[in-house]
Amino acid sequence: MSAQEKMHVDRYERNWMVASAILLVLFATAVSIAAFGMGIQVPAPEQRVDPRTVASDPNSPWSNPGIREVVAGEKYDVYILAKTWQYLPAEISIPAGASVTFYVTSMDVQHGFKIQDTNVNFQVVPGQVSKLTVKFTKAGTYNFICTEYCGAAHAAMAGKIVVSP
Amino acid sequence: MAKKNSNDEFRPQGTVAILVIFVITLVVLWGSIYLILLGRGGTV
Amino acid sequence: MSTQAYEITPKDKNFIGWHLAVAIIALAIGSLFGPLQAFEHAGWDLYKYLNPLIKSYYQGLTLHGVLNALVWTTFFITGFLTFTVIYGFKRPLKYPTLNLIGFLLMVVGLVLAAIPILLNEATVLFTFYPPMKANWAFYVGLTLVVVGSWVEGWGFFYTYAAWRKENPGVRTPFIAFGSIITMLLWQIATIGIAVDMLTMLIPWSLGLLPGVDPQLSRTYFWFTGHPLVYFWLLPAYISWYAMLPKQVGGKMFSDSLARFAFWLFLILSVPLGFHHQYVDPGVPPAWKFIHAMLTFSVFFPSMLTAFTVVASLEYGARQNGGKGMFGWMRALPWSNPSVAAQLLAGLLFFFGGIGGLANASYNVNLVLHNTAFVPGHFHLTVGTGVTLTFIGISYWLIPYLTGKKLWQPKWAVAQAWLWFVGMIIFSNSMHILGLLGAPRRTPLNLAPYIPAEWNSRLFQVGIGGAILFVSGAIYLTVVAATFWSKQPATEKVEVPVAEALQDPALGPAWLDRWTPWVVATLALIVLAYGPMLFDLIKNIALTSPGFRVW
Repeated sequence: MSAQEKMHVDRYERNWMVASAILLVLFATAVSIAAFGMGIQVPAPEQRVDPRTVASDPNSPWSNPGIREVVAGEKYDVYILAKTWQYLPAEISIPAGASVTFYVTSMDVQHGFKIQDTNVNFQVVPGQVSKLTVKFTKAGTYNFICTEYCGAAHAAMAGKIVVSP
Repeated sequence: MAKKNSNDEFRPQGTVAILVIFVITLVVLWGSIYLILLGRGGTV
Repeated sequence: MSTQAYEITPKDKNFIGWHLAVAIIALAIGSLFGPLQAFEHAGWDLYKYLNPLIKSYYQGLTLHGVLNALVWTTFFITGFLTFTVIYGFKRPLKYPTLNLIGFLLMVVGLVLAAIPILLNEATVLFTFYPPMKANWAFYVGLTLVVVGSWVEGWGFFYTYAAWRKENPGVRTPFIAFGSIITMLLWQIATIGIAVDMLTMLIPWSLGLLPGVDPQLSRTYFWFTGHPLVYFWLLPAYISWYAMLPKQVGGKMFSDSLARFAFWLFLILSVPLGFHHQYVDPGVPPAWKFIHAMLTFSVFFPSMLTAFTVVASLEYGARQNGGKGMFGWMRALPWSNPSVAAQLLAGLLFFFGGIGGLANASYNVNLVLHNTAFVPGHFHLTVGTGVTLTFIGISYWLIPYLTGKKLWQPKWAVAQAWLWFVGMIIFSNSMHILGLLGAPRRTPLNLAPYIPAEWNSRLFQVGIGGAILFVSGAIYLTVVAATFWSKQPATEKVEVPVAEALQDPALGPAWLDRWTPWVVATLALIVLAYGPMLFDLIKNIALTSPGFRVW
């Protein structure tokens, strides 16, 4: 009795395997189109900082966190410092239609940063800077919230972006 | 020989039916989340 | 053939029983806190009544996560695999003392970790992300649990080697084969967390290091964190593939494909941990994308499993006279609590798979990361697919080990259905809340940003939690009443091990060779993790001192 080297596969199961593989390729394609065709990307390494001095070093943008105008009405950079249990600044005003890049870092534990109803949602890791861009096309108030457990008052850690028409 | 197995008489058609429903559900639910992603716009 | 009866010695039954005892006690205590989290979402804060015993929502959540996700699973799995190794090989453990040492290490570690958690000195949740800093005993305790499980795994490997020597050329029996792969996967997967603990977290918690590198620690953690999921799942798959078909009166539809799927799980479940770090700042998108593609590929053996398991069930049902496209499902023995629990677990696991695929889909994670969608998802996988299956296994394993008749099988069936219904209500609302933007692991009734439209969903989370609480209480009642019952089993409990439709000896021999698969596993890990880990370690910055923020 010698063992055969080929695997016996039922006809139905073989078709199922092929269909599964095709399905997964389709999902991968959809994801790739969104990422590389439509610019919906995940965060990339921005820079590394020393969390012990990032809030106090005068050369650090997070010693004076807040909004920086790059092109009036069109392009802004926002530096946000996350700490237990607040964001600095906790309120930001932006004109509608502007493209805003967020640079967020933490001076203590890990935090999260998620702007509701946008694709900005990332982990805030001490020593690293998290960066994503969003274009606010609609006027209104957008909450940003901490999505990582960061201690006793984690649930209260939030801020808002006021987008004016 | 592979051809002479007893499962040649058993056709798992009920299994295929269940899995087709599963795949349709998967595509619909996954697709709806994907559409939320697209609706929220670019990040770079 | 493989189904011929083999009697496990009373001593071994006792040893396996101790694993289950610790596991079920952990499940009982941990599950007590689950509904408390759910109630908090619904606005019913019961934690204030637990003060000063339990100080906060987060301490309760730490207990829930550590006891249910880490302790219940690890102890049940090591116990169940001890059974499948002995019963599969039809021989006792080669070095029972080695396995006993492993078990004792796990128990010591559990006690060591439990003390700071109960004293509110380790309220860091089961992910313990630094630089949140727990008492050193928490880290040392968890490490000992892992080391103990390694030692038990070595005991299995020696037993396998001894069996192989006595049975040259014979195909490894499937349940033992799956058990060895599960333990091998576990040994490889836990390298990440071991390095994290030994090189950073333990010396740091003891004051020997000034700080940690949180990004590096996250990377180590998720090296282990995702295959951990497969460590939970594979024992359930052993039951679904090779035991459940017997329980429904059928056979394993494809022995070869089942083995092939297990190999694919071994190869593919480690080199994709970055899919838990898609939105981390310190990992380049190119690596995240590569891991995304590898994650899609590990979905393939899951699809294979779905087919083989459902086809095995259909075969059994049709043997019992089941008819029709869907009508055959009625011919499954739903009145057997072990079967009902596992069928319902498998049914919800389908939806767990869908949510998992969404989480794993690279940028789609921007919508889902750290939202309530994530716990909604994993309560369908580890919380139901795995846990309800283990509960189902225990419905025959406990009578087998104790020689007692299962107390009130009807109650056990009701328990499974209540779990199923409660979890649907809980999990469905959690998924939707996540899509609306609700964060995970947050007492939402304290959050200032909750829109009114979330309220009905938050209420449903509480309702689901209440039903799950009842289900858990019934489970414990059934287990305790069986254990302390004076009623011996009327007939011998049969161990359900299914035959394959096709004789495994006719399957390809390469499915029973170990070296090529293990080499491929290690090579893929080096390729997928090596460059990024090298870069992170080269640029290590121990700049985060510890914080006690609870």
